[in-house]
Formats: sequence, C-alpha cells, structure tokens
Amino acid sequence: MNKKSFALLMLFSTLVGQAQIHHIEMRVEGMT
Amino acid sequence: MKQHLGRQSGVQQVEVSLLDGKVEITPKEDGQIDPAHLLKATYDSGVSVAEMEITAQGKVVNDSPGGLSLQVSPSLSFPIVSNELSQRLTPLAGTSTLVTVRGQLYQKPPGKKKGEPSFPLKLTVLEVQKQE
Repeated sequence: MNKKSFALLMLFSTLVGQAQIHHIEMRVEGMT
Repeated sequence: MKQHLGRQSGVQQVEVSLLDGKVEITPKEDGQIDPAHLLKATYDSGVSVAEMEITAQGKVVNDSPGGLSLQVSPSLSFPIVSNELSQRLTPLAGTSTLVTVRGQLYQKPPGKKKGEPSFPLKLTVLEVQKQE
C-alpha cells in the first residue's frame, strides 16, 4: 500500500469511526 | 411503519409512541444511516412527517462562500442554516474539531396538509452539545 492510499484509508477510518448520527426523532401525523 | 423503517439501512431500533405521534430511531453503531432516506420511507408508508430532529457528531466544513455544512460521514453532510448558534460553529470550519449538535432537519411548512420534504435536508442547529 502506498503512502497516499494509506493516508486516505486513515482519513476514512477517522471519519467513519468518530463522526456519526446518534439519534433521530420524528413527529408524525396520520399514524394509526 | 415501524417494520418498514426497521428494514431501512443503518437502523438498529425503532420506537413508536402512538399517543404523541413520536418516532425514535436508534442508528446502528456504524452510523451509516441517511435521514433523508428515512423521511422518504416514512412518507411511503402513508404517514406525514411534521418534524424531524437529529443528534449528530461531525466536522464543520465550508461548502460554499459563507456556507457551512456538518459532515457526519464521508458520504453524508447537511448544509447548516445560518442562525445564532451556527455562528458559533464558523471558527471550527475546516478544523478537525468534532462537534455534537442537536438540530432540526425538517419541518412541515405551516398551513399545508401534506408537505413533501425538499432535498437536500438542511440542518437548523438547536443546541451545540459538545466540542472536542
């Protein structure tokens, strides 16, 4: 693996591993 | 609707409260979930969404002159609506600081019985919970 690929892999891992959605909440209408 | 949402990519758990019309979605650990996809899936199940809020962690990036986005994954980011709270995020743009925010991604336009969401969803920051 060359340096560029490794740097991209590290960047991707960092973003995927740390940044994320914790919770989603919706208020809905017309639910039965 | 609960089953329909539960089958969507990245969804770990769906809790539905019939009394107050509240739907809480817990994403899987990998965080690979797309709120826009969930919004559309909810509409497809015949239910109208009045409001959608998320709590998310990500990096603040510049996406256009004067415009900010919250990048929550390499393939997912939300343009940030400018308000008092978003101004506090401006100095963090382009840095490696991770911020956790609670924000509104969608609100049905007032007066409309059925409001189809417009995409991309924009994030109105309601609370900045953490910076690290």
